Amino acid sequence: MASNPAPNSTEPVLVVRDLSVTYRTPAGPVRAVNGVSFSLRPGERLGLVGESGSGKTTTALSLMRLLQTSAVIEGGQVLLGGVDLLQLSEEDMREARFAEIALIPQGAMNSLNPMMKVGEQLRDTIRAHRAGSNAKATADTDARIQRALESVELRATVVNSYPHELSGGMKQRVCIAMGILLNPKVIIADEPTSALDVVVQRQVMETLRKVQEALGAAVILVGHDMGLMAQFVDRIGVMYGGKLAEVGPVRGIIKDPLHPYAQLLIKSLPNLETKENFRGIPGLTPSLLNPPSGCMFHPRCPQAMPRCATDVPALVEIKTDRWVSCLLYEGSPS
Amino acid sequence: MTSLLEARQVSRVFGTGLLNKTGTLAVDGVSLVIKEDRPSITAIAGESGSGKTTLARLLLGMIQPTKGEILYKGRSLTSMDRQGREEFRRQVQAIFQDPYESYNPVYKVDQVLTLPLRKFRLTHSKEQTHQRMEESLRMAGLRPEETLGRYPHQLSGGQRQRIMVARALLLNPRIILADEPVSMVDASLRATILESLVKLKRDLGISLVYITHDLTTAYQVSQNIYILYRGSVAELGSVEEVIKHPRHPYTRLLVSSIPLPDPDIRWGGGSEMDTKSATGTAHVDDAKGCKFVSRCPFAMAECRHAPPPLYRTEDDRAVACYLYKDHPTVSGGEMAESFASA
Repeated sequence: MASNPAPNSTEPVLVVRDLSVTYRTPAGPVRAVNGVSFSLRPGERLGLVGESGSGKTTTALSLMRLLQTSAVIEGGQVLLGGVDLLQLSEEDMREARFAEIALIPQGAMNSLNPMMKVGEQLRDTIRAHRAGSNAKATADTDARIQRALESVELRATVVNSYPHELSGGMKQRVCIAMGILLNPKVIIADEPTSALDVVVQRQVMETLRKVQEALGAAVILVGHDMGLMAQFVDRIGVMYGGKLAEVGPVRGIIKDPLHPYAQLLIKSLPNLETKENFRGIPGLTPSLLNPPSGCMFHPRCPQAMPRCATDVPALVEIKTDRWVSCLLYEGSPS
Repeated sequence: MTSLLEARQVSRVFGTGLLNKTGTLAVDGVSLVIKEDRPSITAIAGESGSGKTTLARLLLGMIQPTKGEILYKGRSLTSMDRQGREEFRRQVQAIFQDPYESYNPVYKVDQVLTLPLRKFRLTHSKEQTHQRMEESLRMAGLRPEETLGRYPHQLSGGQRQRIMVARALLLNPRIILADEPVSMVDASLRATILESLVKLKRDLGISLVYITHDLTTAYQVSQNIYILYRGSVAELGSVEEVIKHPRHPYTRLLVSSIPLPDPDIRWGGGSEMDTKSATGTAHVDDAKGCKFVSRCPFAMAECRHAPPPLYRTEDDRAVACYLYKDHPTVSGGEMAESFASA
C-alpha cells in the first residue's frame, strides 16, 4: 500500500502520499485525483502527463493549495522538507508559495495583470513575503528582480513595460522570473509553453532548464506533449482517470512502457519515420462522475482480464524505479 | 487538367485606414494550386503571424484579397454568378480549430448537422435528412446512436471535432480546409481524427488543405507542403523533401525545434541554427529584403536588398533563399502547378 515511487539514493524534496481531490458538481462528486503518490528528488525534473480529465492539473494545483472552491482535498499528504503543506494555516501556506514551492500556471502569460507594469508585479510577489519598505529592502528587492530577469534572458528594462507590450515568449519568461524570485525548492510548470510557437517554446524551455539547474530546484512539468516531456524531464508519471498508471525514468517509459495505457499512448504519437500510421486509443476517457469498477482503464484495455473489472490495481515497483499500476504485473518481483 | 482551387499571387493587407497608412501585410503574394483530378492533402504550415489562417480565409472566400485572385474551377470568386458561388460554398468546406465554438450549448448537436442541409435544401424529407446525417457521421467514424440527440457537453472533444468533419461531409464537398483541426485534442484522439481526415481523401476522393503549426502531423498526413513565414512562402514542395531535408534556414529552424518524443534525439541537436527571438507580422514598408534576414545565421548583403525569388532546387521543391541562387528561379504559380500535378 505504502507506495512511493522514489529512488532511495537521495532524500526526496517533495513527497506526495495518497492524495485525493474531489470536485463538488451539480451532478455529484467528481473524484479528480484518486490516491496519487509520488516523490521528487532535489533538482529533478518530473513530468506528469495525461489526457484532459486525467487529474494532472488538479494534482499540481493541490500541491500549491490553489484549487477552486468547489474542490476538496479529501486526504493525503504533501510533504515539503518534512512539513505537510496540507496541514499549514492559510497564512503559513501563503508564505510557502513562491518561497518554497512556485507555480508557473497554465497560460501563464495571461495571468499577468494587464494594468500593472512588469516590475510592479514582480515587486508585489516579493513584498508579499518580506515586510519592510525601507531603502535597503527596496534595493534588495530591485537587485533580486534584476537577477531573476537576467537569468531568464530578459532585458532589465522590461520592468517598465506593460504585459501587452511584450511578446508571448517574453511574457512567459516574466512568469518564470516570478516563479524563481524567491528561490523555491520546487517549481510546478503547468503546460508552460502550450500557447507558444515551436521555436519560442524551445527557447523558453531551455531557459527554464537553465534557471532550474542554477537554482537546484526540482520541477514538475505538467502537460500532454510527450515530445516536450522526452526533451525535458528525467522521470514521467502517466496519469489516467485520476490515478498514476505508471511512473519511471523517461527513457524507460518511452522506449519500453509497461502499463497498457502507456503502451497505447506511446504508440499513438506521430513521428517523422512513418507516414499515415495512425494508432489512436480506442474508446473514451472514463467518466469520473460514474467511474468504472476495478481498473480505470479496463473498459479500453486490449489486455484486460476478467479480474480487471473488479480488482483495483495498486501502484507497485516491479523493477528498480519502475512503478506500474496494472494486474498484469502482479507477482512480478519487487 | 484544370485546377480545382487556386490562389494566384494573393496578398492581403489589414488595417489600412486614416490612422494606419501602411497596414499589416498578412499574406504576401502567395500562389497555391489544388488539382482536380487526383485527391491530395496539402499542408500549409507556419507559426502564429505566418498568415496561414488569413490564407485559409482567403481560400474560403471569407475575405477578399487586396491583390491577386482566388479561383475555383478556373473562375475567379469575385466574378462568379450566384449559382457558381453557391456551388463553391457547398463544395469547399471548412473545419476549424475549436469545436466548442461551433456549437450552441443549449441545442442538441443534431442542429449543427441539419442547418447546412436546410440551407442548401439538399434533402426533402425528415427521413432523408436523418439518413444523410447518419451517413456522414459514420463516414467521420462516429456511431450515430451515440451522438444524435445529445448536447455538446455530453460528447468528448474528439467526438465534437468529428461531428465537425461529419458536417463538412454532409454537402459532398470536393475540398475541405482544416485549420488546426487537432490542436485542441488530446494525443490519443489526435491520431484517430487525423486518420479520419486521411480516409476522406483515400475513400471519398476529397482533397484537403491542412493548416497547422505542427510539422509532425503535417508530415503524417500530407503530400505537399507550403512553409509560410510572415505572409510569404519560404519553401514549398513534397513533404518528404521539405521536412526530412529542409533547405530554407527558417524551415531548418522549425524542424530542429520540434520536440521529438525520443529522449535519445536531442532537441535542436546538430543544428547550427541560433534561436534569435520574436516572430511577428511584416509591415508593408519593412518588406524590402528577405523577411527572415534579422533571424538568419546565413544572412548576406543581398538578403537585405530585395526579397529572394523562389529557386527550384529539386523537381519537387523550391526555396525562397539566396543560398540557392545557383538553381533556376521559378514563379510561385508555376511551382505550385508543377508539384500539384506530380
